[in-house]
Amino acid sequence: MKKLSLLALIGVMLFSMTAFVNQNTDGDRLLGVWEPSNGRARVKVEKIGDKYFGRIVWLKEAKDPVSGEPKTDKNNPDESLRNVPLKGYRMLKDFVYKGADVWEEGTIYDPLNGNTYSCTIKMTDKNTLDIRGYIGVSALGRTDIWKRLEIKSKKKSKK
Amino acid sequence: MKHYFLLGISLIGFGVVKAQTDSTSEEDDFSMYEELDFADEGAKRYCSPKIEGLSPAQLIYVGYDVQGPYTMKADPLTNRAGDQISGADEMDIAATHGLRLGCNIPVISKTSLVWQMGFNYWQTKFNGMVQDVPAGGRNAVIDQHKNTFRTLGLNTTVFKPLDDKQFLLFQGSADLNGDYTFSEMMPLNYLKYSAAVLWGKRPNEKKQWGVGLARTYRVGEINYIPVVMYNWTDAANKWGTEILFPARAAVRRTINPRNMVLAGFELQGQSYRLYKDESLRGEDLEIRRGEIRVRMEYQFSVKDFLWVSAQAGYRINYRYHTDRLDDGKETLRAFGLLSDKPYAMESTLTNPFYVSVSLNLVSP
Repeated sequence: MKKLSLLALIGVMLFSMTAFVNQNTDGDRLLGVWEPSNGRARVKVEKIGDKYFGRIVWLKEAKDPVSGEPKTDKNNPDESLRNVPLKGYRMLKDFVYKGADVWEEGTIYDPLNGNTYSCTIKMTDKNTLDIRGYIGVSALGRTDIWKRLEIKSKKKSKK
Repeated sequence: MKHYFLLGISLIGFGVVKAQTDSTSEEDDFSMYEELDFADEGAKRYCSPKIEGLSPAQLIYVGYDVQGPYTMKADPLTNRAGDQISGADEMDIAATHGLRLGCNIPVISKTSLVWQMGFNYWQTKFNGMVQDVPAGGRNAVIDQHKNTFRTLGLNTTVFKPLDDKQFLLFQGSADLNGDYTFSEMMPLNYLKYSAAVLWGKRPNEKKQWGVGLARTYRVGEINYIPVVMYNWTDAANKWGTEILFPARAAVRRTINPRNMVLAGFELQGQSYRLYKDESLRGEDLEIRRGEIRVRMEYQFSVKDFLWVSAQAGYRINYRYHTDRLDDGKETLRAFGLLSDKPYAMESTLTNPFYVSVSLNLVSP
């Protein structure tokens, strides 16, 4: 009887882990490099623990037009962070995969004004994201469409 | 033994899962991200409705507007036959003031289309009308200024990017303007419709311009006029312009993204239906109010997305005449080019200083 109980327990553990792995695998479809609609930046989505984060990895205008130095987060409300380079900055934070191609509970940071907004991400197809930043309630927000990027040579080799 | 094997497998599996959860790499070489292209070959880039550095768009606003003392002088009011029905009059007004509130809520907010719907409610109250009544009696139109004038409107804005540089912009509104009360509303057939259509270009993140045509009441009466948009921000994000001429134009000085000062003007106007006094309803009278507000405005963030706008300036009267509809139809004068029909009553206003303060929830 004891042996049967132990087997059942292991079975439940394996089943739970399989579901967990599947959910994580689905959520991992967010990983990759994405471009916001304005084409000014490229954001690499990565995973830390069970959450998803997005770092700026490319800027159309990488240098400050006045100083000629690499752009920093000069509009951050926290003065101590204003010298942090924008390239490498985590502008998407703490997203959790909720199933049905939706990631929630995260925030998006706008370096242009130093504001952080609540945010949800919906993958409308494998190469397209609806990124909705909002204030308090989703109705008071704006949706931006991000497109997945891939290495040019890789794309050509596929053809 | 078999059980320990299964347990071992499950623990190894769990370890694999944990190992997969950190996909980050702290590379400092970002050059690999330069040569990328859309994974989806049909993907298009679209220009944004905004440029860098613009003052924030208002989602919800609640404000109050106060004009200082001024004098209103009215010529005699005539009837349809041209006969005088009310004499000339003059009145000092201590203050004109009222609540201004509204909202602009995104209905569709996508890269390829932005559609907003809005609502606005403006009051205009006239205080301190203490002049002696002239021998011939109070002028009938001036007497209506004991009532609150109201504007209740719905508006919509559609921004349609054509590609990453060109866009179309449509703005439309329907306003109910008059001295009605909420217990005795004016019929909706007195709605005034305004609209503007622009085609524009956004050559870079710091400039957008456009040209178009507007049907407007901003000079107090119906007009069809060309409009020009020119929004620009300098390289240092310190200076810029916010222009939708002739409706408004301002030079912007950005202290930081949460503090900015704008200097310029706005053309405001409504066509107020005189509705409350039943004896005047048959006359089909509307006050054509148009004014130019030359002003300084300070906008700043109180906390996060909550901003205050404080304006101070000089209100210059452009027109404050009373017009009569012909069979319910307005006269399109086009600055005298299409019609020289006289007004039912002409008025002049002296020009006061004004202040206007609002609390705004601003858009992402």
